[in-house]
Amino acid sequence: MELSRRTALGAGLGAFSGAWAREAGAQAGTTLTVALPTTPTSCDPINPPDHDWMIACQMVFENLVEYDIDGVLRPQLAKALPTISADKLTYAFELREGVRFHNGKILDSEDVKYSFEYMLNPANRAARGPTFSRLSHVEVDSPTRLRVILKEPFSPWMTFLTKFMGIWPKGSREELGEDHFRRRPTGVGTGPGLFEEWRPNDFISFRKNPNYWTPGKPAWDRLVVRQVPEDAARVAYLLSGQADIISVPPPRDFPRLRTRRGIQGGSRPTLGGWSFIAMNNARPPFDDLNFRLAMAHAIDRRTINERIYHGMVETAAVPAPASSWWFNPEANAKLDYNLDKARDYLARSKYPNGASFELACASVPYLLDSRDAAIFLQSELAKLNIEVKLRMAEQSVLSPALSRGELDALIGNFMSPGEATYMIMVYLTAGQFMSRSSNYANPRLEALMRAAFAENEDEKMKPILAEMQMLLADESPFLWLGFFSAANLWRDRVRNFKVSQGQTVTVRDVSLG
Amino acid sequence: MLSLMVRRAGFSLFSLLVVSLILFVLTRSIPESPARIVLGDDVTDAQIAAFDAQYGLDRPIIVQYLAWLERLALHGDLGQSFTTRLHMNVEVAATLPVTLELVTIAFIVAFLVSLTLGTLSAVFRDGPIDYAARLLAVLGVSIPGFWLALVLVLAFAVERDWFPPGGFVPLSEGLEAHLMSIALPVFCLSVFYMAVLTRMTRSALLDVLGQDYMRTARASGLSRLRVLRYALRNALVPVVTIAGVSFGHMFGLALIIERVFNIGGMSRALLTAIQQRDYALVQAVVMVFTIIFVVANLVADLVNAWLNPKLATS
Repeated sequence: MELSRRTALGAGLGAFSGAWAREAGAQAGTTLTVALPTTPTSCDPINPPDHDWMIACQMVFENLVEYDIDGVLRPQLAKALPTISADKLTYAFELREGVRFHNGKILDSEDVKYSFEYMLNPANRAARGPTFSRLSHVEVDSPTRLRVILKEPFSPWMTFLTKFMGIWPKGSREELGEDHFRRRPTGVGTGPGLFEEWRPNDFISFRKNPNYWTPGKPAWDRLVVRQVPEDAARVAYLLSGQADIISVPPPRDFPRLRTRRGIQGGSRPTLGGWSFIAMNNARPPFDDLNFRLAMAHAIDRRTINERIYHGMVETAAVPAPASSWWFNPEANAKLDYNLDKARDYLARSKYPNGASFELACASVPYLLDSRDAAIFLQSELAKLNIEVKLRMAEQSVLSPALSRGELDALIGNFMSPGEATYMIMVYLTAGQFMSRSSNYANPRLEALMRAAFAENEDEKMKPILAEMQMLLADESPFLWLGFFSAANLWRDRVRNFKVSQGQTVTVRDVSLG
Repeated sequence: MLSLMVRRAGFSLFSLLVVSLILFVLTRSIPESPARIVLGDDVTDAQIAAFDAQYGLDRPIIVQYLAWLERLALHGDLGQSFTTRLHMNVEVAATLPVTLELVTIAFIVAFLVSLTLGTLSAVFRDGPIDYAARLLAVLGVSIPGFWLALVLVLAFAVERDWFPPGGFVPLSEGLEAHLMSIALPVFCLSVFYMAVLTRMTRSALLDVLGQDYMRTARASGLSRLRVLRYALRNALVPVVTIAGVSFGHMFGLALIIERVFNIGGMSRALLTAIQQRDYALVQAVVMVFTIIFVVANLVADLVNAWLNPKLATS
């Protein structure tokens, strides 16, 4: 609670000061400064840091296509979106001509093939390598034409590239070593920023790539991404002009700060930001369907999202954002807040007299603070004679424990690349790195997943995803509270900035007034 | 004096050995294999075994400890971070000077100001200066450091562009910018200890000034200033002891101050290491802090022995 008090103090006292809006001082000119709360661990896109710091990877490395800030797939290093074969196994790309790596070398198909082969090689331990395990290999047809061959249909793979992949020059990994990509990735990308310096515990900086393939971009000369963990300090950086854009503003103060003179703010529901309760279906009391349904009806999502998360979570009871094209309102309506229904399901469960379980929650918030929501749930479920024992620990301790299936339940906020299937695949189907968090298996869900992977068009995928949501509403292996929002505050001098639905701050198109 | 130095140095060394052993055992007792941190959650048992063999983690803990101690004592080698793969001497060399500079300057400021205020307060007991100094001391002890830091940032960085809101500008980037970047953190770090040492100086000095031998000195016709000089030397013994402890404690307060002012010093590195489960780095940073703490106390003991030679022979 100390942190929030300090935050409130920092921002709250300032609200009375009336002196928020002052033009940038120390960072004037064309240096764009972004302040983020977390700690970077790597610039290597195959082992990316958290979603905030993916900005460092994305400044340097690019992909054939990008999943942009509005969740739209667009060509990046490819001239256009690929031609897909009838069997959905071959994706043919044509590369842009004249794209240069930061070392001056011209990008060609061999670099793409080399990059994919490196990432797919298990020996190189790409963190999300298993996500791309359905990719077979890359065939080069000419310096600018190539085909990516899949082992089985897997339509979402291209949307994962922006977060978990990049293209680097052929031979560079062996020549420069792993640490070069992690700590000082000079010369190895095609992106808008040239890596300049990483000062640990302070900042990572980039210079403008003067040879960037989009003329006129980026419009800044230098980008400094600062690590500012304290909420109040991050706000002070923004208000004093030491930062142009900040990420993860304190939710409680966000509405007030965004209306200050000289400051702008925006928030958008993320497409993959689950705000949820993970339940281990192999452990009592979650081994009983009726108990899970009782839980699903006992949760007042709207109150949690409006009162506790201050509107920073878009309510949804199913794993689809309410504002997304794949949202199924019918499935969502099945899990309305209704204590009578909850009592009815509980009476039919193996635990008619109530039950007890341990609910884990991050002690230091990641993405969004869930501690108050956990306490609210504890009091709400007590009405059904369900005892919730809270267990607070660091996120870095909870995540591995969750993946090993060692937790009863966890309330938290996790971010995905932002398309419809990734999180469901990772948590609720077999053989994934988070499968044991739920220990849930359903052949119908697996079949629906395969069907979704075989479709490349939204319209054809929509009924499959709708059925998937209906199934998950009926089974409630997890409980969804909604999709949390990405939010940013920025100074007036920042032009063309838009909050990314993928969470990662995107500044390629930003200019400074 | 030499005997005292040898005894104190021996005791300090023993303290360091005990702390290092406890620290090492605690760090190794954490039920999370470094292999899982480095290689990911999907690592297999065989991969964990190979990792442990590579880094000697499969050996008995006492063997690991002795090997670590040997590297530290003979080569000053703090080891390698499992998370960042960086050599921790590099990490410490990059962050320790920042924290050390902040703490040292804050300590000097606190010591000099408190010595002056405490002396004035004792000499002009129950006068306006005494009341003002006591009020300041009470305020200094009562105001939490993080609160003061936030208010100062708001007042002097956000409202007025007098100081930057945070960050550390190295001296190599200009003296003025450097001093501006450390002014508020140094002030916040020093206020509490300034208050504690002021109260300690005042009370110790009043105590000494009330002794019979001081009355005799005054009756012998010694000037007021000379009496004060003798009294101060005696009164400084407890002040120096507390100052030595305070210097070590300042590194603890620096944890908060560096966070609020967003300074990438050693305290920040420690917090980051804890969040990233970089236990090897936690161990290295805590060990460095312990060494500083022990050395500060050793220096305080030696200064006290110089101030009061009786201590050296007792």
